Amino acid sequence: MRDVAIIGVGMIPFGRRDEDTLMDMLAYASLKALDDAGLGDKTVDAVYVANMGAALLQHQTAIASSLVDRLSLIPAAAEAIENGPASGASAVKNGLLAVASGYYDYVMVVGGEKMREVTGWRATDFVATMTHPLAEYVYGITLPGMAGMFTRLYMEKYGVTREQLISVAIKNQEMGALNPYSHVEMAITKEGIYDSPHSVVNNPPVADPLHLYDACPVSDGAAAVILCPLEMAKKFSKPPVLIAGFGQATDTQTLQEREDPTDLKAVTLAAQKAFDMAKLKPGDIHVAELHDAFTILEIAESEHVGFFKKGEGGKAAISGKTRLGGQIPINVSGGLKARGHPVGATGVAQVVEIVFQLRHELNKERQVKNAKNGLTVNFGGFGNNVLAFVLRRVEQ
Amino acid sequence: MKEIAIKAYKCKSCGKIHYPFHDRCLSCKGRDFEVVKPLGNGKLVTFTQIFNLPWGFDQRFLIIGIVEFENGIKAMGQIKVQSSEELRTGMLMKPSWEPVRVEQGENVFGLKLEPI
Amino acid sequence: MPVDMELEAVLRPPIIPMPPYPPKVITLANGKKLVVRQAAREDVPTILKGVYPCLFIERDYYDIVSARLYGELLAWYRYRVKSEYCLIGQIDGYLVGAVNGRLENEKVGMSYHTLAIDRGLRIGSHLFAAKMEYHMEIMGQEEVLIVAESPIGFRRWMIEYPLEKTNIPHELGGGDSYRLTQDIYNLAKPRLVVGDRPVPQELLDKAMDEIIIVDDDIIHEKIAGLKGR
Repeated sequence: MRDVAIIGVGMIPFGRRDEDTLMDMLAYASLKALDDAGLGDKTVDAVYVANMGAALLQHQTAIASSLVDRLSLIPAAAEAIENGPASGASAVKNGLLAVASGYYDYVMVVGGEKMREVTGWRATDFVATMTHPLAEYVYGITLPGMAGMFTRLYMEKYGVTREQLISVAIKNQEMGALNPYSHVEMAITKEGIYDSPHSVVNNPPVADPLHLYDACPVSDGAAAVILCPLEMAKKFSKPPVLIAGFGQATDTQTLQEREDPTDLKAVTLAAQKAFDMAKLKPGDIHVAELHDAFTILEIAESEHVGFFKKGEGGKAAISGKTRLGGQIPINVSGGLKARGHPVGATGVAQVVEIVFQLRHELNKERQVKNAKNGLTVNFGGFGNNVLAFVLRRVEQ
Repeated sequence: MKEIAIKAYKCKSCGKIHYPFHDRCLSCKGRDFEVVKPLGNGKLVTFTQIFNLPWGFDQRFLIIGIVEFENGIKAMGQIKVQSSEELRTGMLMKPSWEPVRVEQGENVFGLKLEPI
Repeated sequence: MPVDMELEAVLRPPIIPMPPYPPKVITLANGKKLVVRQAAREDVPTILKGVYPCLFIERDYYDIVSARLYGELLAWYRYRVKSEYCLIGQIDGYLVGAVNGRLENEKVGMSYHTLAIDRGLRIGSHLFAAKMEYHMEIMGQEEVLIVAESPIGFRRWMIEYPLEKTNIPHELGGGDSYRLTQDIYNLAKPRLVVGDRPVPQELLDKAMDEIIIVDDDIIHEKIAGLKGR
């Protein structure tokens, strides 16, 4: 099995992109990544396209085939990968396996989603299709609803407070305001969303105990990476980033069938496998992109991957340990909360951000100093399909 | 009163209760199950009040929770209260089988819960 | 333009006297202070400058809402509509939103339009609620008739209050009106109507001094920007 490096990355600003079709966004991100890798006029051997909703929202299928045609990447092998909100990481994993196996040399992975084409009610329904049709979906449960029920249990078991959740929202929106690719570029204040009595209108409950500012926005966007064997990466001008380890694990689909619904076993297992493969420990990580579709998840994942003990993640967040300059900067990009969550694109965008960090390419206000090791966690379903990557800077 | 039409599955080898259906037991991978129905009342495990409903619902909010029945079956249902402030985890809920949504003009039945 | 006052007496509709709306200040999610106050007839030409660029923005029905708001405000300015009022929202003097409505009679109000120029801050929600506060509490009316032209409006008002459906057709020819009653208002008030009074003098002076309108491009970017909020 060969070592696999990332030699090119690209993404487009996330947000509401009415003027772009899904294929437009996938194409733009792909071209940026190809150009970044110096392959702007070349081809690749295989393409993996991450997407969850094209069939339902855009009434379009077989989008990988459509993309290679559009981008003149024919006759590359091509497939679309659907794994709910973890489609992005799944596609990266498939690209990684393709190169590691020795069967393919240059592989492009691109993830994209166009969710704002439909009204909020329909987008909510689309995301809810992940839940169990008979035992969950039929009741009108939504993903914020699942997160709300999870948060209530987490608060009862570990004493996580609303103020701790809010500190994550404030941190991520502050960082998002500095990220040109971010959907939400507005810093918020604790007064405006919590302390002031006016916060009842500014920050209403969406699925209590979660409020509006605990949830990520609905976004359009796309992100792409180019993979190749590490031994070939030295040819390229930018410092390669090695995918040092990966892990994936699943859990029960319904929340009710988990022994302890606050125990995100799939996150723990996926991260453990990634660390083991990379021969690194949580303490070795300098920067992380965790899946904060809801603020509670950033806190819970920071514990389950091993940055903090169970029950300490909220305290760590509110005391600044997860800020830029803190013990372990988490979601310096703004995370899903501010950068946005076009579901198919997110897993790829997380990798793109870590590559920016490990290449030391970012402005001072966003760059983690001397970052060498990074972690991504992409959460599918509601914690029932999780992927983690450990990425490492390769010194030339 | 309609019967609670939830079918749970008890593994004949190791006794583990499943709802919804699994072809193989989550504990021992066995394939033989006996059908069991929820017995008695449900203890509230967790709940939430959801605003921003999916397409197909006309009301302002939905209150949804998970209960554990007296014989170990756990299930999700809609809760008949005006606000989640009326609820506490651990409360006892009475189950019923009523319309929970309308799909293509037809009522879809499911589990509803009411505090005792 | 020369105006014949004798002719105007025939052309102008009667105005039901309205008590003034007491200004209030609201803290927004980003910490900024929104001053909500009543606009005077003389303010209309300035407000219209802020509404004008929205006439050409299709996104989220801004074009139709602003076209109608423009006409309504102009009608008020030229004395061609019964008992209309306009409340505006300002941040540091900048116009960020406007709402209007009129009185059908002493008991019944008619909500006209709600336009927010700065987005992602619930300014529309706050201003609409201020309108309802004006009808229900300040003027003591019994009910307000309301319609929504945009799905966002529909979600915020018809679903979130919630409002009662009626058979009364919309006066501009759209769907049937919905109704806000004292009962619905009082139940919804703790969740939906906020604000502090009195407005600190410095903030109020800034707001009353001048209604500042940002450039057309900034309005375009905030409402129809490439990256929505």
